[in-house]
Amino acid sequence: MARVAVMPLFVLRGISKDFPGVKALDDVSFEIRAGEVHMLVGENGAGKSTLMKILCGAYRADRGSFFNNGEAVTIDDPTAARKFGIAVIFQEFTLVPYLDLAQNIFLGREPAARLPGLIDRRRIYTEAKRVLDMIGFDIDPRIPVHGLGVAQQQMVEIAKALSQDARILVMDEPTAALSDRETELLFAMIARLKKSGVAIVYISHRLSEVFALGDRITVLRDGRKIASLLPVETTPDQLVTLMVGRPVDTTYTRPGRPTAGEIALEVKNLSGSGFSDINLTVRTGEIVGLSGLVGSGRTEVARAIFGADRVTAGEIRLFGQRVEGSAVDSVRRGMALIPENRKTQGLAVNRSVGDNIILVGLRKLFPSGLFMPRRAMKAARAIIDKLRIATPTPRRAVATLSGGNQQKVVIGKWLNADARFFIFDEPTRGIDVGAKAEIFRLLDGLVHNGAAILMISSEQIETVHICDRAYVMRGGRIAGELSHRELTEANIVRLGTHQ
Amino acid sequence: MSARNLSTASLSIARVPGVAIVLGALCATFGVMSPGFLTPANIANILTQSTILLLLALPMTLIIMTEGLDLSIGAVLTLASIALAVTVVATGSAPLGFLAALMVGFCFGLGNGVLIAVFDIPPFITTLGTLGIAQGLSLLVTDGQSVVGIPRSIEAIYSETVAGIPVPVVIGALAYAVTHGLLYHTRFGTYVFALGGNREALKVAGISVRGMLIRVYVFGGLMAGFAALLMTARLNSAHPTAGIGMEFDAIAAVAVGGTSFERGNGWLFGTLLGVIAVGVLRNGLNLLAVPSSAQVACIGAIVIIALFIDGQRGER
Repeated sequence: MARVAVMPLFVLRGISKDFPGVKALDDVSFEIRAGEVHMLVGENGAGKSTLMKILCGAYRADRGSFFNNGEAVTIDDPTAARKFGIAVIFQEFTLVPYLDLAQNIFLGREPAARLPGLIDRRRIYTEAKRVLDMIGFDIDPRIPVHGLGVAQQQMVEIAKALSQDARILVMDEPTAALSDRETELLFAMIARLKKSGVAIVYISHRLSEVFALGDRITVLRDGRKIASLLPVETTPDQLVTLMVGRPVDTTYTRPGRPTAGEIALEVKNLSGSGFSDINLTVRTGEIVGLSGLVGSGRTEVARAIFGADRVTAGEIRLFGQRVEGSAVDSVRRGMALIPENRKTQGLAVNRSVGDNIILVGLRKLFPSGLFMPRRAMKAARAIIDKLRIATPTPRRAVATLSGGNQQKVVIGKWLNADARFFIFDEPTRGIDVGAKAEIFRLLDGLVHNGAAILMISSEQIETVHICDRAYVMRGGRIAGELSHRELTEANIVRLGTHQ
Repeated sequence: MSARNLSTASLSIARVPGVAIVLGALCATFGVMSPGFLTPANIANILTQSTILLLLALPMTLIIMTEGLDLSIGAVLTLASIALAVTVVATGSAPLGFLAALMVGFCFGLGNGVLIAVFDIPPFITTLGTLGIAQGLSLLVTDGQSVVGIPRSIEAIYSETVAGIPVPVVIGALAYAVTHGLLYHTRFGTYVFALGGNREALKVAGISVRGMLIRVYVFGGLMAGFAALLMTARLNSAHPTAGIGMEFDAIAAVAVGGTSFERGNGWLFGTLLGVIAVGVLRNGLNLLAVPSSAQVACIGAIVIIALFIDGQRGER
């Protein structure tokens, strides 16, 4: 299909938005063209999400104008946005767990039956099936969504958008939780949508995606538009510099690696729900990767080692001593799990930085059981200084910190509890490009001080750069171990996918 | 439509919900222990006596599905019953009295809904407050005395039969059918699932979260108004303490029935079974001459047992 290059489909011009105390957007303009993937990049807090929320009517702009096919229009609620064919797939899905696929796809737009208020049940199921077929998702629309995996839920979101005849599809980091295979499927679907003239606005943190998919790139920083350019006009390094505002080394390399010491963790023949016959060791001074596709059992193994989930067979030894398979016992012996989802599993986000830091080490800090505020404050300050957490005071609420600093708080909490063996599940997820290096420096610092680390990461490049060696999982089993010399992206992919 | 739709569940015992097991066990126990239990007359009696609770438990299911709670429903029932009786005694018109009961229910439902949805006061606190207000007004209006002199036409609603079926059972069946239709076949019902499951989903779909939440509580108030008609007919009077503790029974029936207090995971048929389980328990214990205070303790125990059975199977 020929590209309509003359007239953009939709234009936002001079958009500004203030939140109490923050200028979220300042005079930002943005053009959307049919059949194009427009990449929107920038660090967390740059204003990408705010801009998209304004586009879809969830927020109202303080200043600025909108043009639909060159004609001035207003968007002041989601209904108005939908009228112009704008649909958003948020990172936090807007699905209702105990409604089925069809009900979710048509939420708020249920076709009416003859009686007012009643839903035409037959029509929503046939229509849902049609839309699901269109994107090649073979599933019964009567299945409730609470049992679906992340990738499947995303497919439902996309089906939901397409069922509204979306002309402009906004995707907020759609690959954040997808495996490589699922990502390929998504990219194929995006290519198909482009061909049919749909415009796509794609928010991404991953530079490889920006260049693989983007027809146009817009960079936001601190609420302002820094640049709008074509992929051929720039390079990944230049783009990162634009995003961060200063040159950043994207490929973090460890300055020096300590020699491996005693065995910190030894797992023998471990089996449980979602994995079987797992054998692995981690020595002090080592960062060992646990790689594999999403769904290969990495997180399950990590949780089982920590004692959060039950195991059916095998044994776990920590510093030579058998752990009894309960999280309480693991923590007491110096094990720490830093989960993937900081907000729901790792932090009490509404409490202060200080409260979070002392949470796990309470028993050590206050052996008498009596809470002593001054001692708590001192312990918290020590960790804040040690990890260079950017907070003016330990009393600041964790929710106000950036992703990188929140991650530091989680790590600090375990340091305060004298943890010596750490499991990191996706330590850099949702963290700015600029802050990633700092997290890696932190991991490096931990092993230099005699700790041992098992790190799960979906980004193979991270595993390659950071880890001393890695295990690759496939279908709930260890498919192989890669020494430092063998540790390449190609080898990880080969072990992780080979049938 | 429910996650535990009976048609999709296999017949294996492991899939039978806790509430069905509890109900079966109760019937078997009382059937053995007391010869009068499994007679048609007694079964009709249980169903008749369960209807008031059913009328409260149905909307309570929807309210709990929105991650809310209505502690005031028993006190509103009482006040509506008193409004009905006072109006009937003063005007002699049964329809006017019924209208007064519905008005009381509507106003309290609306008040609860507005306070919760618009002013963001937590449901527990809001309805604890309105419980106090409704209960206090009941005592104030009646000076603690019963309101008597209810005409025969109202009393008949509880005692008459239609085609051999007691009128309350017919009303209960109708109420269930209407609520089922509302929850599973209307847009409103779909949005009830979303209110508890993902309010953001409603917002981006352009549906008014506040409006829907208010409607859910208004539905609760109106059902309390209907229940007041049955209760007044049953007692042949209105009494300022008659509805005390009904919110406990209603919440217990919903919980026994397997409706979760999180994420909009509700099951209306489970509530029906839960109401019958509470009715069977009360009836059976009455036959065994167990005092009513001990009955409350037993209801508490079956809530825990049913949820324990569900929990053991990882149902929630």
